[in-house]
Amino acid sequence: MSAIAEPIAEALPVAPAEPWLRRFKRVMLYGRNVDRGAKARARVGLAIVGFVVVYGIIAFRLVLFGIIADSRTPQRVIVDDAVATARPDIRDRNGEILAIDVRVPSLYAEPRRIIDVDEAVELLTAVLPDLDPTELRARLSSKRGFVWLKRDITPEQEKEIYRQGLPGIGFLKENKRDYPNGSEVSHLIGHVNIDNQGIAGMEKWLDGHGLAALHMAGLATDRLQNPVVLAADLRVQHALRDELVQARDHFHAIAAAGVVLNVNTGEIVAMVSEPDYDPNDPRQANEPTRINRLTTGVYEMGSTFKAFTVAMGLESGKVTLNSSFDARMPLRMGRFLIHDFDPEHRFLTVPEIFYYSSNIGAARIALSLGTSAQQAFLKKMGQLDRLRTELPESAEPILPRRWSDLTTATIAFGHGLSVAPLQAVMGVAAIMNGGILIPPTFLKRTQQEADELGKRVISRRTSLMMRYLMRLNVEKGTARKADVPGYYIGGKTGTADKVVNGRYSKTKVLTDFMAILPADHPQYLLLIMLDEPKATPETHGFTTSGWNAVPTGAKVVARIAPLLGIEPRMDLPTADQLILASLKQSR
Amino acid sequence: MILRILNLVVIGALVLAAAYVYRIKFEATVQAEHLAKLRDQVRQERDKIADLRAHWGQLDDPARVQDLAKRFLKLQPVAPTQFDTFDHLPDQPPDYMRPGSKDPIGGMIEHLEVPLEVTGSVPQDGAPPQTPDNITAPPAAAPAQSGAGSE
Repeated sequence: MSAIAEPIAEALPVAPAEPWLRRFKRVMLYGRNVDRGAKARARVGLAIVGFVVVYGIIAFRLVLFGIIADSRTPQRVIVDDAVATARPDIRDRNGEILAIDVRVPSLYAEPRRIIDVDEAVELLTAVLPDLDPTELRARLSSKRGFVWLKRDITPEQEKEIYRQGLPGIGFLKENKRDYPNGSEVSHLIGHVNIDNQGIAGMEKWLDGHGLAALHMAGLATDRLQNPVVLAADLRVQHALRDELVQARDHFHAIAAAGVVLNVNTGEIVAMVSEPDYDPNDPRQANEPTRINRLTTGVYEMGSTFKAFTVAMGLESGKVTLNSSFDARMPLRMGRFLIHDFDPEHRFLTVPEIFYYSSNIGAARIALSLGTSAQQAFLKKMGQLDRLRTELPESAEPILPRRWSDLTTATIAFGHGLSVAPLQAVMGVAAIMNGGILIPPTFLKRTQQEADELGKRVISRRTSLMMRYLMRLNVEKGTARKADVPGYYIGGKTGTADKVVNGRYSKTKVLTDFMAILPADHPQYLLLIMLDEPKATPETHGFTTSGWNAVPTGAKVVARIAPLLGIEPRMDLPTADQLILASLKQSR
Repeated sequence: MILRILNLVVIGALVLAAAYVYRIKFEATVQAEHLAKLRDQVRQERDKIADLRAHWGQLDDPARVQDLAKRFLKLQPVAPTQFDTFDHLPDQPPDYMRPGSKDPIGGMIEHLEVPLEVTGSVPQDGAPPQTPDNITAPPAAAPAQSGAGSE
């Protein structure tokens, strides 16, 4: 091209004085005194320039199309297919599927393109009888471009409607969340709304952690996202739930709840709050009786709190296992009397206070250390602040308005301070695992990660002594029914009077049982909680924890211990010989 | 003359180039269509897999399996006593075929024991008694703990 343009350049120096615009006009127009050769060259040059420009534009556009064509296709896919967000699968720790996306057809209409509304209504209601004809007619008569008619229809219905050949009616494949295990894992993983957005449990956590942003960016359409692996074990979860449902029916309790926690990593291996709901049908989830009692409920935990009181005493160094406290008569605090459920009327040593579950003794331990020491200790154990886990639902503990000596005395045996049960589990786990407080998690966690997160709250020695007391309580104390042979369980029972109309009820109780297994080297902590269990003939009219929560706990342990890989060991020595002896060695 | 030949050559080259480019373009289109088809197929397969996994999850639900086991099997939950460790395995069985034995098969028959199989199942009614009187061996242990824990 430059070669052809040269003649023009040659022509330029012919008349340097003339301005280029006038010369251009003169050359291009049919001037009489213009050299025809120069004129022809100039015109050819102009034509060349014109063609170059046109083809240049075409080439440029081609390149543009070539580049854009790729980025355009997925955009169309978003509009067509990704109406509901794609979510990653949720698996349990063994890879069992807890939640998965399946594609289901949804029915929509473009009202502007519908010709005969009456015919459409008639035909559609014939296939989908649960569609309301009046509402359907209103929707189809509207002037909107797009309306959903029914989400999640079956492939058979899709085929039938397709055969009707109605104009303006179409299908979109949508992602729908499927929970193959139904109610089994309800409170743990939560559920999603119709647009596949998490609104409870781990599903909501997923949305909060990048999934929502990913979807906004139009990237969450593929199912190639990595699955989320939970700490939960589906089989343990099932065993726990199965036993809790049976216990709830057997004792006619209004609710039952349980947690299995790995004390060394803080992983929640199973969590059940009965009554629960089916995440495939999340409407039930809004019923107030179906809340997750472990994280959104706060309860006075009763005597299980004595574990904190005794640990606090032992940790302070002012109380030893040989200290004894006066439990001869009820403790008078102003207008109130603190009784023992089953009074011994004598001085009790610390182990005796623990396994007879003496309220007086626990109160005296707490009082001997003082209110501020108790506050500081409970704060350190995470019992006074809201516990935050991955689950969006959490409840703040209810603290006493005025922390008097009386409050100190009652909190010592678990009345007057309401905490979320999961919170208490975390605290007791810290007492048992050697003194490291690890925030509980629903996600899989390695021992190393747990070590980085955990912080020491009590000494190893205190923890050892507490293990001894927990085991002793199963050998001699209130948790005798929990002694499943082979698993060396330790545990503490708790029975809290429920507050009804601002007063402690004499008949309505909340019983709980914290079990550790095995007691000499704790690996797992089990919490069983029954809300208002009733007396049955086998319990001889008792409703205390030892008669309902403890046997339930024993059944659960017998079922879950093999699943958790805990080796049964027969004919182990008693706590005195096994745990206390190692304590003396470590001294 | 040379210029004309050059022109012809250039025109020929142009036509060839155009044909070649057209072929490449055509092939690319075919490939792109093939790719799109495959992508679609992959997506459908994935959806199908997800569908089947969901279904498998339903069938494999512990509650369902427990229900079926209760109805159709005579199994009972495993008791802690049914677990044992490798340390508790009995010593090696006696050496039936000692070197120099005259009748190795006869020696084996002499030592032969009726296999003693006790599993978690409950014996069926009318089934032959499983424990002959002459055998006092301990119940066969379930697989050792190390195996059971790592499944």
